[in-house]
Amino acid sequence: MSTPSNNLPSGKPQELLQRYLQAVRFWLPKSQQEDILAELSEDLRSQVEDKETELGRPLDDAELGAILKKCGNPMRVASRYQPGQYLIGPTWFPVYRFVLKLVLLWILIPVFVVIVGPAIVLSNPDRGAGLLQTFGNLWTAEIIAGGVITLVFATLERVHVKCDVAEKWDPRSLPPLAKEQIQSGTKTICEIAFGVLALIWLLLVPQYPVLAFGPAAAFLKFGPLWHQFYIPIILLSLFGLAHQIISLARPQWNWLPPLGRLLSIVLTLIVLNFVIDAAGRTPHNEWHPFVALVDRVQDSARYGQIAALVNVSILLSIAGTWLGLSIAAVIETWKLLRLVRKRIPQGHNAAPFRAA
Amino acid sequence: MTNGNQSNADLFENLRLELRRGCLIVAVLAQLRTEQYGYTLRKSLADDGLAIDEGTLYPLLRRLESQGLLVSQWREEDKRNKRFYRLSSAGEPILKQLLDEWQSINASLERILQEA
Repeated sequence: MSTPSNNLPSGKPQELLQRYLQAVRFWLPKSQQEDILAELSEDLRSQVEDKETELGRPLDDAELGAILKKCGNPMRVASRYQPGQYLIGPTWFPVYRFVLKLVLLWILIPVFVVIVGPAIVLSNPDRGAGLLQTFGNLWTAEIIAGGVITLVFATLERVHVKCDVAEKWDPRSLPPLAKEQIQSGTKTICEIAFGVLALIWLLLVPQYPVLAFGPAAAFLKFGPLWHQFYIPIILLSLFGLAHQIISLARPQWNWLPPLGRLLSIVLTLIVLNFVIDAAGRTPHNEWHPFVALVDRVQDSARYGQIAALVNVSILLSIAGTWLGLSIAAVIETWKLLRLVRKRIPQGHNAAPFRAA
Repeated sequence: MTNGNQSNADLFENLRLELRRGCLIVAVLAQLRTEQYGYTLRKSLADDGLAIDEGTLYPLLRRLESQGLLVSQWREEDKRNKRFYRLSSAGEPILKQLLDEWQSINASLERILQEA
């Protein structure tokens, strides 16, 4: 194939055509610019000539403009000569979208709402500033995570990593059919029974510390934080019981157990945050936030060491519980979101296939 | 209902373009059994009722050429350089297969429509 000579038109009336071709050239792949423009220019010139023959006179700017308008926007015309390019192709895109949604919606947001947010807000004397800082950090984390995920998948696309998942699959390894999640009545009754026992225990403990300390009740008593957070703990226990009783009475409300569990976890986390915060504020020289010595052994160094050990153990247990509940909160949020998604009707989806 | 009508019109346009896409390739290959340059090819397709705009035809011609189904040559005609295309020797059997496939699809569709 010989190199084409320049077919570009010249002369005042054709200036508009030249401007159009120049605009197309800008968006064309460099290696093919001349070739494509020569061909396109030849086509446009032929169209102009045909029209001029039809009218019996040269075209004015408006008539030429109409031909160019019909040809299309220069960027769009040029884009058709580009090879089909995409940042993330159709093979990887469903996986990319799933990972992006998982990280941005189902991990980062719950983590910030349940863990990072409360930690920042509670540690900041100015609650409003703490809230703003949380939103700022969440936004930054979302952008960075989104960018990193996109970069990783774009790299996979670029290096042509084959998505084997799409090819190596066995129909027999498909997950079983999902059943409608209705919590069993027996399980709920057991949970209620344990909840009632726990509530009775909580109500009796102030009168009978031996229920909590056993023989150690002879020299240990509850510390100041116990009194401060006793009522919130009772209320939490009542809340747990209430949602379980309603779940038993209304088993068809399958959204209630996950929602109740999530609320219960979030409220517990808030209380635990306050407990940890208050424990940290207790003066060091008399650090007995959870458990203190009874008056008659106040001066005993031995019992003092035991009390200190118990206090540290309780604090560590609370910290561990806080961590565990934070993870549980993320899982429950995910479960709840799945349930919500299932309940929202998908308007444009086709009706599910049913075998006859 | 305006939005619904609008989206139905868009939907039809998208489906129409999809339907035309494959047919255009067959039509272009069939027309280029005789050598032609872009503009005359467009005119002959339009005369036969299959109008195609320049923004669609030229990228398609390049793609078919890069796939080895067409060959092209720049030549001077009427004191202007024009790029002439024709079906390549590799394109001939492919065109025959495509025409057989198209006839088979057409026959199936006709049977389906008669049954309906």
